[in-house]
Amino acid sequence: MSRLRALFAFQESGLLLVVVVLGVMFTVFSGTVKLPVWETQPDGSRRRVFTVNAEGERVPAVVEKNKFLNAQNLAQLAKDTSFTAIMAVGMTVVIISGGIDLSVGAIYALASVLGAMVLTRYGPGSPGEMSPVLGLLLGGGACVGVAALCGLVNGGLVVALRVHPFIITLGAMAILRGVAFVSTKGQSIGGFPAELRDIVRFEMGDGLSLVPLAVMVAVAVLGWIFLSRLAAGRRVYAIGGNELAARFSGIRVERVKLGIYLLSGLTAGIAALLSLGYYGAATSGDGQGYELNVIAAAVVGGASLTGGKGTALGAVLGALVIQMISSGIVILGIEQSYSQIVIGAVVIAAVVLDNVNTWLARRRLSRGTV
Amino acid sequence: MKHRPLLLAAALAALLPAAFAQAPRSLTLGLVAKSQGNPVFQAARVGAEDAARDLGAKHNLRIRIDWRTPNEEDAQKQAEAIEQLVLAGAEGLAVSCSDANKLTDAINSAVRDGVPVATFDSDAPASRRFVTYGVDDIECGKQTMDELAKVMGGKGVVAILAGNQNAPNLQRRVQGAKEAAKKHPGITIRDTYYHKETPQDAAARVEQVMQANPDITGWCMIGGWPLFTENALKWQPGTVACVSVDALPAQLAYIRSGHVPVLLAQQCHQWGYRSVELLVDKIVFKKDPPAVKEISPLIPVTKDTVDAFAKNWEKWLPK
Repeated sequence: MSRLRALFAFQESGLLLVVVVLGVMFTVFSGTVKLPVWETQPDGSRRRVFTVNAEGERVPAVVEKNKFLNAQNLAQLAKDTSFTAIMAVGMTVVIISGGIDLSVGAIYALASVLGAMVLTRYGPGSPGEMSPVLGLLLGGGACVGVAALCGLVNGGLVVALRVHPFIITLGAMAILRGVAFVSTKGQSIGGFPAELRDIVRFEMGDGLSLVPLAVMVAVAVLGWIFLSRLAAGRRVYAIGGNELAARFSGIRVERVKLGIYLLSGLTAGIAALLSLGYYGAATSGDGQGYELNVIAAAVVGGASLTGGKGTALGAVLGALVIQMISSGIVILGIEQSYSQIVIGAVVIAAVVLDNVNTWLARRRLSRGTV
Repeated sequence: MKHRPLLLAAALAALLPAAFAQAPRSLTLGLVAKSQGNPVFQAARVGAEDAARDLGAKHNLRIRIDWRTPNEEDAQKQAEAIEQLVLAGAEGLAVSCSDANKLTDAINSAVRDGVPVATFDSDAPASRRFVTYGVDDIECGKQTMDELAKVMGGKGVVAILAGNQNAPNLQRRVQGAKEAAKKHPGITIRDTYYHKETPQDAAARVEQVMQANPDITGWCMIGGWPLFTENALKWQPGTVACVSVDALPAQLAYIRSGHVPVLLAQQCHQWGYRSVELLVDKIVFKKDPPAVKEISPLIPVTKDTVDAFAKNWEKWLPK
């Protein structure tokens, strides 16, 4: 009994339970699907397996699998979650500090297009190629570096102008998207050398692209270490809990805030680089409205918009819950129009549950002190 | 009582054909359009469902249309929808691409997994789709400008109105409109104006531009967004000429009021209908289309034809 209690004692246990319940539900109700069978050739390439049917025709071999619980679908779910989840980790840090960053979608777009432009110009096989590795590093560096710089500028403006981050990042959202548009003249930038795509789409085992999943896990672990194991992370909670008290206790609030927005930009840059590698193109219209998806993931993951509360693991689980619902609607063949209603309801339910949880915790605390 | 064996035999004879009749083959087709809110894609959806019903009855098929379209234009979400549909067992896909570059890999992966893909309205030419159906965008821009020049008597100041700056098909239409304008030396293009793709934003943009440029005498609308609202053109009919692509129900009122002499209707119901026909031919009958590119011409709608054309919408819009 105590083991069971310990299992559910950690902060994200409720979310984890939701993920498990959703997974079981989709597995039971999704039915089966026929997926093609592939075989790996000695040179590492994959080829479809063919068989001969009753009429003597050569037809592709298929295998029947559960629509939800199969490796391809789970890898797809992880990939679709990863872009939002990575940004949600950065957003959670911002929200814990009592701030908000509405510019992450625009940073994602700008980082994508600049990364794509550099790769097209200097990447492997391009006219200005230096060396394949250098070209890739330059493209990746431009993508992530520009995003981090945008975050730093956001932080700098929040600190220097003492204006609410909502206003600063709202303005930044418009400016950065405008810069992305002007730089590309509204054109999609693609067709750059395939090396980055080969890395991000690297397939393992049964043709599974697990790189986005691996990056998401790495960002979540680093976020967890930062927030719960480092003094810098504790300072973020302190500022979000009570900024004035944090200042009086000697925390250099401005410096911490700079770092927070830099982190938010950095995670948007990492997500942009992954997307660039996976989809192989970028436009200034990318990431439109993603800021709201990312904020929703952070909030569902337990981050409190009043500050002082949230975790990196919660952010990833929040993004996973939202993506599971979205993908589950496709898998179950439910009319798509309902997805927005369901996701909206989940966000509200998460905030209500969070409030109830906080109220219960306060009640327990007050009882304990009486 | 002695007639009982006869009755049994008659009942068996009646039931036998039903027992031996083939059960209809199930076929799920995914439909991924650019955005949910755009009425032209709603008409495409109805077209696909109409084709599913008609072809199902004709060929003894049970066709299900799985509509997976982002709320707003988002190529990444479209790519995810394609991947999800393949994993959910769709046997064919029809896609209108928000960004051809971004969707090429997703389309190619679907084809590699044995799922044929048709594109409609907006193509991904570098992908392995087996057919594309829609207007020729350059020609569409040219035709719109030519019609406008005709209405304006070959002279005047023209504003081009387009929606999403990033949409490649709109960019090509703008290019076509500009090319056509060169044939009319009396026509001057003031500028190309873009807007967020909502009717309100589009109508507001027309109003702003007219206030800043009262000398504009013609509007070449290569996307018809402002005309989805009432009273978007705040001038007396005949004072400023306007020709627009699309002929949705709300737009037809502007023909009747005399504000817009010509609308060029895209066959958006056919986008869905024809895509399903092409997919069924490919999947069920292993038949390839005669050409990879199938052009659907624009249909001019004028005061003389507006009432007849309006009747189509009773069938084309979701009930």
